[in-house]
Amino acid sequence: MTHEVVRHLLDDYVAGDLTEDARVPVLDHIGVCAICRSEVDDLEKLAVQVAALPRAVEPPVQAWAEIRSVIERDARVERTVSRRSSSRLRAQPYALAAAGLLVALVSSGGTALYLRERAAPSVAVAPPAAATADPAGAATLAAFTIEENNYLREAATLADVLEKQQGVLAPETVAQLKKSLRIIDDAILEARNALARDPGNRTLVEMLSANYRHKVDLLRRTTEMTRSS
Amino acid sequence: MPAKMKMLAVAIKDPADGPGADDVRRAQAGDVDSFEQIYREHSPRIYALCLRLMAGDAQSATELMQDVFIRAWRRLDTFRGECAFSSWLHRLAVNVMLENARSDGRRTARVLPMEDTGKLPGAAKSSGIELSMDLESAIASLPRGARMAFVLHDVEGYQHQEIAGQLGLSVGTIKAQLHRARRLLRERLER
Repeated sequence: MTHEVVRHLLDDYVAGDLTEDARVPVLDHIGVCAICRSEVDDLEKLAVQVAALPRAVEPPVQAWAEIRSVIERDARVERTVSRRSSSRLRAQPYALAAAGLLVALVSSGGTALYLRERAAPSVAVAPPAAATADPAGAATLAAFTIEENNYLREAATLADVLEKQQGVLAPETVAQLKKSLRIIDDAILEARNALARDPGNRTLVEMLSANYRHKVDLLRRTTEMTRSS
Repeated sequence: MPAKMKMLAVAIKDPADGPGADDVRRAQAGDVDSFEQIYREHSPRIYALCLRLMAGDAQSATELMQDVFIRAWRRLDTFRGECAFSSWLHRLAVNVMLENARSDGRRTARVLPMEDTGKLPGAAKSSGIELSMDLESAIASLPRGARMAFVLHDVEGYQHQEIAGQLGLSVGTIKAQLHRARRLLRERLER
């Protein structure tokens, strides 16, 4: 084995990944080549340093509170979405797309209703507790931002997968899916804008969260359909 | 000046087998307090991994760790006890990180070549985090691809094939990234 060939095998040699047939000539070469011997020494020294690295680092103390806030809001949103209807929807692609459409319309309508209420002259009626901005509003929004990033990443990944696999779906199903997604996106935009104007409003946070969840859910279920087709 | 990170020399216990098994079962039933116990047990290890993958940027690492635990909570019902809970959680953490890396990679690729990721705002030089060991700083200064391969393979013990599969790259590419990472680390540690 030449020096150049051996040099390319030194990482695997130190990691113990070489077969016996390959290891013996490398070992022989190291015995006579100072450059390769020095490189092996360096790699072994590095491996020792890596093994000594701490495996645990204490995270910031406030990290759990934000996770808990997202989890608890999840539970509230979960209660508002009927599990029974979502399990029924799994069976039918068209029902699935229609469900996305329905959720988007309801969410969009809810946002529109909310905006109209805000635009109307004030009346002496106490707002619902959930819709009232509270001192924890900033924390609520901060926690939601983490979740929003999460949804955006997941939706982008699923959309990529779906784009590659959409050939297996009927054209009318793809068209209906795209239509539903457009409506959900409009509802997300509408709720996002409303939230920007009223960042402490938990009702809007939950509405927006529900829109994101349904977008991801619609994409995920459609992706699963393409895989099972 | 940021507080120096507290390094913990803790043994990672396995809640599925040990005293934490009840926490896992209760968390699966929706008990948030039990999930908090799981978080307390595992977050130092997950956070250390996030910090290294995010080049020592504490804010990005915290967000990533939070993503991991939020997803873990949502997917708890998929844990059937077929493997150690710690393995399940660690695998989930790596998957979340790699998914994020893929989407972040698509974004940054439009702006900077991989070799220039040290110039990104989150890179170690600008993080202000005191990684007390020279090796930590050297790992943080690696280009993104080399750093991910090195942390997952040499620090976390993943196989070439697993990393290649998750990143959608060939084993040869991962090996080349590892070789590059080790060479750069040796050069930087010698300075």
